[in-house]
Amino acid sequence: MEWKRHVSEQLKLRDRIQRQTFEEIVHQYNRLLEKSDLQAVLTERYQTDKYDVQRGHEAGSADSARSDLLQQEMAQMRIRHQEELTELHKKRGELAQSVIELNNQIQQKDREIQTNEARMLEYQQQISSLEGDCRELRNSLQELEQANQTLKDEYDALQITFSALEEKLRKTTEDNQELVSRWMAEKAQEANRLNAENEKDSRRRQAKLQKDLADAAKEPLPIEPDDDIEVLAEDGVKGAGETSPNRPMSKTLSRKPSQPPPGGLLDSISNIFGRRRSANSFSTSPEPTESPSGLCAEVRVPSTALHVFEAHDGEVNAVRFSPGSRLLATGGMDRRVKLWEVVAGRCEAKGALTGSNAGITSIEFDSAGSYLLAASNDFASRIWTVEDYRLRHTLTGHSGKVLSARFLLDNARIVSGSYDRTLKLWDLRSKVCMKTVFAGSSCNDIVCTEQCVMSGHFDKKVRFWDIRAESIVREIELMGRVTSLDLNHDRSELLTCSRDDLLKIIDLRTNAIRQTFSAQGFKCGADWTRVTFSPDGSYVAGGSAEGALYVWNVLTGKVDRTLDRNHNSAINSVSWSPSGAYVASVEKGSKAILWSDM
Amino acid sequence: MADDKDVLRDVWFGRIPTCFTLNPDEITEREAEPYYLLLPRVSYLPLVTDKVKKHFHKVMKAEDVEEMWFEYEGTPLKWHYPIGVLFDLHASNTVLPWSITVHFKSFPDRDLLHCPSNSIIEAHFMSSIKEADALKHKSQVVNDMQKKDHKQLWMGLQNDKFDQFWAMNRKLMEYPTEEGGFRYIPFRIYQALSERLFIQKLFRPVSPEGNTHTLGDLLKEMYPDALTNDGEQKRYQVLIHGIEPLLETPLQWLSEHLSHPDNFLHICAIPVPTD
Repeated sequence: MEWKRHVSEQLKLRDRIQRQTFEEIVHQYNRLLEKSDLQAVLTERYQTDKYDVQRGHEAGSADSARSDLLQQEMAQMRIRHQEELTELHKKRGELAQSVIELNNQIQQKDREIQTNEARMLEYQQQISSLEGDCRELRNSLQELEQANQTLKDEYDALQITFSALEEKLRKTTEDNQELVSRWMAEKAQEANRLNAENEKDSRRRQAKLQKDLADAAKEPLPIEPDDDIEVLAEDGVKGAGETSPNRPMSKTLSRKPSQPPPGGLLDSISNIFGRRRSANSFSTSPEPTESPSGLCAEVRVPSTALHVFEAHDGEVNAVRFSPGSRLLATGGMDRRVKLWEVVAGRCEAKGALTGSNAGITSIEFDSAGSYLLAASNDFASRIWTVEDYRLRHTLTGHSGKVLSARFLLDNARIVSGSYDRTLKLWDLRSKVCMKTVFAGSSCNDIVCTEQCVMSGHFDKKVRFWDIRAESIVREIELMGRVTSLDLNHDRSELLTCSRDDLLKIIDLRTNAIRQTFSAQGFKCGADWTRVTFSPDGSYVAGGSAEGALYVWNVLTGKVDRTLDRNHNSAINSVSWSPSGAYVASVEKGSKAILWSDM
Repeated sequence: MADDKDVLRDVWFGRIPTCFTLNPDEITEREAEPYYLLLPRVSYLPLVTDKVKKHFHKVMKAEDVEEMWFEYEGTPLKWHYPIGVLFDLHASNTVLPWSITVHFKSFPDRDLLHCPSNSIIEAHFMSSIKEADALKHKSQVVNDMQKKDHKQLWMGLQNDKFDQFWAMNRKLMEYPTEEGGFRYIPFRIYQALSERLFIQKLFRPVSPEGNTHTLGDLLKEMYPDALTNDGEQKRYQVLIHGIEPLLETPLQWLSEHLSHPDNFLHICAIPVPTD
């Protein structure tokens, strides 16, 4: 690059000529100029000083004017310079001040900015947390709404079901009412039919009897003095019974007056004439096959179970031998009274008496053995004829379970004791309740003598009632709830069983407790556990809650025998046959056992 | 690109020895000594003559002082020309130092512009730069610069800071490589003894055929009288920054390296001295 080199050379040349040659000289010249200026100033100052001094010595020097002038000028210049200096200082101070102020302001602004930024950060954090909360709240709100919706739906569904069910209920109630009314109608019809039949029957018998009587009145017949009225199972022996009423009446009147059964017979016969009573076999002619009750001689303490059999479906509550000892009646919770024939050491089922609507609580035969009275849990007592198992009467009126019902000695009246704390006296002719006595406590068992009715109660008392006076003659309090009462054959002693697991014999003449029986394992199983005298009054038998049959000797007061191997559950009731040969016991577990000593 | 650093430095630090003498007609209190100073070629008179003013104010009364103006051999010196241009044009081959007369009164309003403060000089300087860039880059580069960059250019010139100035000026000397050079070369050709102030026209650094234009091409185009034909004697000197570059010097290179700080290539054509 020729030209470039040329340019460089030319520039260097130029500088050499124009600059370097003069640089030093100009610099030195200027320095000299400064020095001379300074010298000039100094000279002037010295001159003024000199003039001052001179003026001090010489007054009125011609030069003084000029020096004064010079002095003045100098002074003025100095003053001017001073002023400039002070002004510059002042300005500098002001500027410094303003700088400081501005700095402060800047710092302040910085601080403000920082605080603002910090606050903004805070706000942002708050915002984000609030947003989070808001989101959560919205979520929970959604969930709640959904739950609410589902609840509403469920409620609606339930409402629909409810209304449907209401409808069903209404319809079912209507149906029920209809059925009940139809059933009532049927029952009424059946009752009417039964009544009509009964009427027919009674009319027929009446007619027949009239005819027989008429026949019998024509011919005399031999009479046996020791006749007792027995219940006959068949129709045939009516003729024989006709004549006896007069004879036995006189006979019996001469005998012990305390034996009213013949009187009862008379009553019943007169009842026939007076009323259209349907009496099948009238307890007129004696049956030699049946031994009379009450004078049984051969009481045998049982030792073995002759026959164990299932008596009922369910609990068996009551058991009773018929007065002739040939029949055994058991009553249970299956609402039936079953009749068994005791034959050759076994009980053969004969039949069942139906009509009760609830479990049977007690059974009694009338003194002739032709009627059976059973008390039931359906608040009523019923009477059947034994021979044809037909329900004859239903005695309603109690407002609670009837726990015991007994024929009064004249067999024309019945006394019943009930859970409703009353005793009712019924007249069989009118089939109406004649009297109602408030006993104050639920009556568990009743026995009757000619004048007196004795009832055992829940409140541990035995109450003695006068029949005619309808009032309490006496009260005996025992130690436990009275569950059972029994009289001995001559009605001089009363046997009580109570929940304190004690059997007591009370002498009725002295009203004192003559004997107390207890045994180790004997516990009263229920409020209706029945105990019994032996027919001759020398033994007492009762069943315990563990299923053991205890026989006590009355004279010794000790346990004569314990039979505990045959019953599996609590023994509810015991009955001794009037013949003395058999004992029957029934248990909670539907079994009945026939005992004897063979 | 302008990376012949030495050339740039030499151009920047060029100095002219000057002697300032107070006009004898000025009312002085005592005799004023002349003031000597090395003036920078690339700067402007009012920018560098504060000391001169102070020096001469010392001997004058305040009420007699008006705006200072300079004059050389009767010609008022235009302050808005760079000092180097003034020297090359008026006193190139004379005896150094350059003697300038200082006046404080009778300001020639017809010939000179007033310069009350440095901001006027700055405005003039910046407008020259913008004009130059308009020619070179369609003003893109100078418009992309920020205000502080413009300020840096001015401060660099004012305080005589080569690095500070050229840090910014580099950008003005760049051109896209595919172009081969600036769009147009910013130049002014000054003629002595002419009614016309200067020649300034559009001239490309590269010919349409792709040849780089040289100084000779420019002169041939703009001022053919300056060129010497074969066989003739040289009649004119073509001075840039006080030197005569060869005519085959590429114009683009000249514009990059030998421009004044105002980005113009100031070319003086003066008659050859006869002595």
